[in-house]
Order: sequence, then C-alpha cells, then structure tokens
Amino acid sequence: MIITNNLTKKYGDFTALDHLELRVKEGEIYCLLGANGAGKTTTINLLLGFIQPSSGSAFINQLDVQENLLETKRFLAYIPENLMLYPSLSAVENLDYFSGIGGKNLNKTQLEEFLEEAGLQSDAFHKRISSFSKGMRQKVGIAIALAKDAKVLLLDEPTSGLDPKASNEFGHLLQKLRAKGVATLMATHDLFRAKEVATHIGIMKDGQLKQQFVADAISLSQLEKAYLDTMEYKTIAS
Amino acid sequence: MLRYNFKYESILLFRSKWIQVLIGILIMLFGFATYNGQQKTQKRKADIEKVTAEIRTSDQNMLKLLDSVEHGLTVTARPWTIPNTPMAVGNYHPRVASKPPSELSFLATGQSDMFTHFVKPTVRGDDLALNFSEMTSPVQLLFGSFDLAFVIIFLLPLLIIAFSYDVLSSERESGSLRLLAAQPILLYKWLMQKLALRFFWLAAITTATVLLVFLANQVPVSNNFSAILSFLGISLTYVLFWFALAFAVNLWAESSAKNAVALLGLWVVFVLLIPSILNQLGSTLYPIPSRALMVNEMRTIKAEATERQDVILDNYLRNHPEYAVNDTTQERSFWHSYMASQNLIKKELEPVLSKYENQLQKQQQLLDHFTWLSPAILVQRSMNQLADNGSESYEGYRNRVIVFAGEWRDHFLPMLYNNQAFSSEDYGQLPEFTYTPINNQSQSSVLVILLCSGLVVLGVGALRFYVSSDEKHSII
Repeated sequence: MIITNNLTKKYGDFTALDHLELRVKEGEIYCLLGANGAGKTTTINLLLGFIQPSSGSAFINQLDVQENLLETKRFLAYIPENLMLYPSLSAVENLDYFSGIGGKNLNKTQLEEFLEEAGLQSDAFHKRISSFSKGMRQKVGIAIALAKDAKVLLLDEPTSGLDPKASNEFGHLLQKLRAKGVATLMATHDLFRAKEVATHIGIMKDGQLKQQFVADAISLSQLEKAYLDTMEYKTIAS
Repeated sequence: MLRYNFKYESILLFRSKWIQVLIGILIMLFGFATYNGQQKTQKRKADIEKVTAEIRTSDQNMLKLLDSVEHGLTVTARPWTIPNTPMAVGNYHPRVASKPPSELSFLATGQSDMFTHFVKPTVRGDDLALNFSEMTSPVQLLFGSFDLAFVIIFLLPLLIIAFSYDVLSSERESGSLRLLAAQPILLYKWLMQKLALRFFWLAAITTATVLLVFLANQVPVSNNFSAILSFLGISLTYVLFWFALAFAVNLWAESSAKNAVALLGLWVVFVLLIPSILNQLGSTLYPIPSRALMVNEMRTIKAEATERQDVILDNYLRNHPEYAVNDTTQERSFWHSYMASQNLIKKELEPVLSKYENQLQKQQQLLDHFTWLSPAILVQRSMNQLADNGSESYEGYRNRVIVFAGEWRDHFLPMLYNNQAFSSEDYGQLPEFTYTPINNQSQSSVLVILLCSGLVVLGVGALRFYVSSDEKHSII
C-alpha cells in the first residue's frame, strides 16, 4: 500500500530524508519514531505530494505519488498534528464538506453513521467544531478517513496533546481501521502508544531509517533502549 | 467541488459576524451616498427652477411694461431698463441657459460641484470665459464627493480586501490547508472557487443594493436601461478586478498580515497614488498660468478698447453694413460703440483665454493617455459620463452656451444698429436655450480594459503554481 524506494529530500546541502526504503502493507500500522527533524514529517509530506523528492519515488496503492498526484489522494486520508477543521461548521457539516470536495456525496444518515463509527458522541454531531476538544476533532478526522473509504492513513503526531483516555480511544480507532485493511503510517514521539497500536515500528534519525522492528517481537523496554541507543542518549541510570 | 464550496462557503460567510457587519456597512454606505448624491441633484434642480421662475416673473413684468409703453402710458422704471429697446431686453431680460441634472446624476457628482449649472447670457456679457474656465486640474475634479461612485471606487475595494485578504493564508495559519491539500483537489481551483463565491455574494449584494437605489430614486428603467446596465457592468468588473488582485496576493504572499499590507498598498497605488502622480505630472508638464494675471490682461484689453470705441464703431459698421441697412436716423448711443468694441475685445482676448484652455486640455489629454494605469480613474470617468457630469459633458454644455450667447447677441444687433424698437410682438421671437446631453460613449472599452487587467492579475497569481517545488511547498 505504501512503498518508498530510495526516497530522498534535500534542501540545498541539508538532507532531510536519506534513501528511505519503507513498506507498509494492507492492515499494518507502521509507527515512525524519531526526534524532531528526524525526517518523519518530510516522509509524510512526500507521500502527500506536498513536496517533490530530490530522488527516489513513493507509491500509494501502487501508484507513483508524483505522477498521480490527485489519483493517489483518492486513496489516502491524512490527520495532521493539529486537526483544524472549520470552527463555525458542525461536525456533520465539516465531514460533509471534506467528503464532498473529495467526491463523496453522503446523506445525513451516512454522515452521522461515520461520526458514530469514529466514536463521536451523538449529541456532538451538530455542535460547532469551535466547542470541540482536540480528541473530538481527531475523531472527526477519523470519520473523514472512514467516509473516504481510505486505503492509506497518514498520521502526523496524532496523539500529541491528547489526554490518556482520548489517546487510548484513538488507539482503538486505529485498530478498527486496521481491521478494515487500512495501511497506516504514523509519525510519533510516543513510544508507549507506538508499541500499543503498531504492527511495525521504525526509528529514524537524521533523515535515515536506522532500525525497524515487528512490534510484537519487541518489548516496550527493549524498544525504549533501542530508541535511546539510536538517538545516542544516555539513560538516567547509566 | 463547486457545489460543496458554494454551500459551505455561503454558510461560513453568513455565519461570520465580521462579514455581517461588513455587509451592513456596505448597505449603509450605499444608502448614505445615494442620499448625498440625491441632495446635490435636488439642490441643482431647485436652483434651476428658482432662476427659471425669476425669469418667468421678469418676462411678465417686461410684457406689462411694454404694453404700457406701447399704449403711450408713462412708466416709472429706470429709462435704460424699459424693454422697448433691444439692449434693455438683451441685458435685463436674459434667458436661462441651464444644464439640468440627468436622471442618473446622483450616481456621480463628477464635475457638477465645480461648474455652474445655469448662466444668463446677456448681450453685454463678456464673462462667459471666466464662468467656465475653472482653473482646476481635471484629475482633482475627478474625485471628491461622497456619492455612489465614491463608495464603489474608494470604499468597495477596502471591503473586498477585508473580504478576501486571508482566504488562503487563514487556512494555512489554522492548519486546515494541509487537510484540504490532502484531498484530491487542485488548490488553485479551490481558491478560485472560494474567491469566485465571495465575488458572487458581494456582486449579488452590490447589484441588489444598486437596483434598490434606482427603484428608491424612481429612475425610469426603460429610459436608462443601457446606462443602468453599464453602471452595474462597470461596478462588477471593477469588483472582479479587486478579487483577481486578492487571488494573486493570496498566492504570492505568505501570511495574512503580509496579504493585508500588500492589498492595502495596492489600493493606495491604484486609488490614490496613480491619480495623484498623474495630477502632479499634469501640473508640472503643463502648468496653468495665474488666473489673476488673466483677469488683469482682460481688463487692460477692455480699457484700451473703450478708449478707442468711436474708431472701432466706424470700422465695425464699415465691415458690417448689413447691421445698419434700414437705419435712417444715424443716431449713435453708448451701446452702438460698446457692442462694436465687444467684438474686437473678444478677438483680442482669444489668445489669452486659449493659453489657459490649452493647458487644461493638455492636462486632460495626459490623463486620457494614462487612464488605463488606474482602474479607479477609468471607472470614475465612466461613472461621471453615465451621470452626465463628466468633463466632456460640461465641455459640451459650455460650448452650447457660448453658441447660444452668440445667438442671443446676434438677435439684438440688427435691431440696435437699425435703431429699431423692441415690441411685444418680438417677444415670441426671442431665442431659447435647449440643452441636449451628449450621447454616452460606449463603456465597452472600459469593461475590456478592466477585464484584461483582471486576467493579467489572475495570470500572475496562477504563475505561482509553476515555480519550483520548494516554493510550492510554501503554499501549503
């Protein structure tokens, strides 16, 4: 579903992403871990076609992103760190708008069903987004992905700033999408959440994918150690 | 995408308190400007009616006096005003040469607050040049009154700026642009649709308000159909030009603050700076000589002519024997000499006056050449024309009055030189002034220039999408 071949992005002499080789299959959740500036958001921007690669290529649903900019966006949904919807529109209206401009005409019942599936309480459906918490806005974002019937989900720090309950709910939503066969790529700093929801985990540093794990094959403490070693941080104990 | 953009952009606009306030302000401005324009038009009408009524009363008195004189009664009027002499009628009972306001005059005050709307040419009158030769730059005359044209040209662009300066940047700043860009849509199409919808609503509000204004002022639509269409067409194309500018600025600038500053800067350039520079350029390249010097020169020429009145009269009658062909009395009074010298004075004054007029004309020509630089000048001139208050209109009126003044004088000259009395039977033969508005020139060229400017600006905006990928990134 998501493939990158030697994907590289340079800004002058600075290499933001260095020959990234990534494979995220149907029903997998791949978490990219790394410090700020590691290249996680650059990877997502390249997959979204927001920027052009310096070399290499990226594929979504077997389509080259650069050659099929609009077509690939039909298959993917994206939730940024701060999902800012239109504050003076309600949840239903926001969902209708974003689905509509993407080419999905949905009736009111369908819209409400998607919001319900995304875990939003029914009394919030017709409230303006301006009164929503970040967690509630993320649920509307998931509803947009559901309504779009996205095959690929790109998430950029989706749980930062969420309280543990909301973060946990978000994890469950991702599992729901995984069960539907959605390939998810999530950039995050949150090792705990990554270990909990991911099927695969990659650690990035200086634009390079330094290590990759199958999530079930590694414990949280092993993951933490691998992360700190990659980052060349020293633990407090040592 | 259009359907959803239209639906939700409309909802967003009508839910925005800021937009509601702006629309309220726009309607109030239109109302106040119309009231203001209408007041000026009413005042002008009232002035003309008043002076016409005065002339009517004066004519009735004149006919009564004439009747008394013709019946051999003694009258108590001052001798030189008794209307049995052609000069008394020609001087003390003139006609009104007025320029009544058109039905659309309230739209644009134009030059109407600078020039007179009526004159009463007399046979001795020599001050027509002074009445009409305003020593004011045509550019300065273009702008000024708070009328509908002022609201559309000066204030509407500010509302458009408030309406559109942050269409793209606010999405970028709030983060929703990334979400939008992740949808299978072309961003420039989305932005164009968004601005087009804002244009649509503003155009609808402007059109509805303008039509209401016409209705409230009881403007006969059938008589002015093409003028109303032209007014709406020019207004909406002008609005479109500003939206095109907003589109380009939204794409090139990065933040809402920069957009606002850039658009306000462009407003200053197009609406204030270019007209002001052209005005300054006109006065520098073609300075107008001092009015005081002109008046002085006129007085000197008159004084010299007065000293030579008798010689002038002899020469005049030698050159124009037809004027005195039926005169058997050979009596010569003050008026015989005066009228003969007037002709000479007129000829001698011609170069003095033409110096002023030429300079004004050159300023006007300079403006004509560079009108296309500022849509504001273009629109103001068109609206002045539609309201029959433009410089061409006043030039036409001035020329018509000068011709009429000649007709009036020429009507009495044969009577004067033949020493013929004025009788009540001659009253019906007095020349009358009629004003015919000049035909409004086609406004299509204005529309074409505005549309072309708008397209060029749109093109400049669209160029943004063809620059490098890193630049493209900054759009999102």
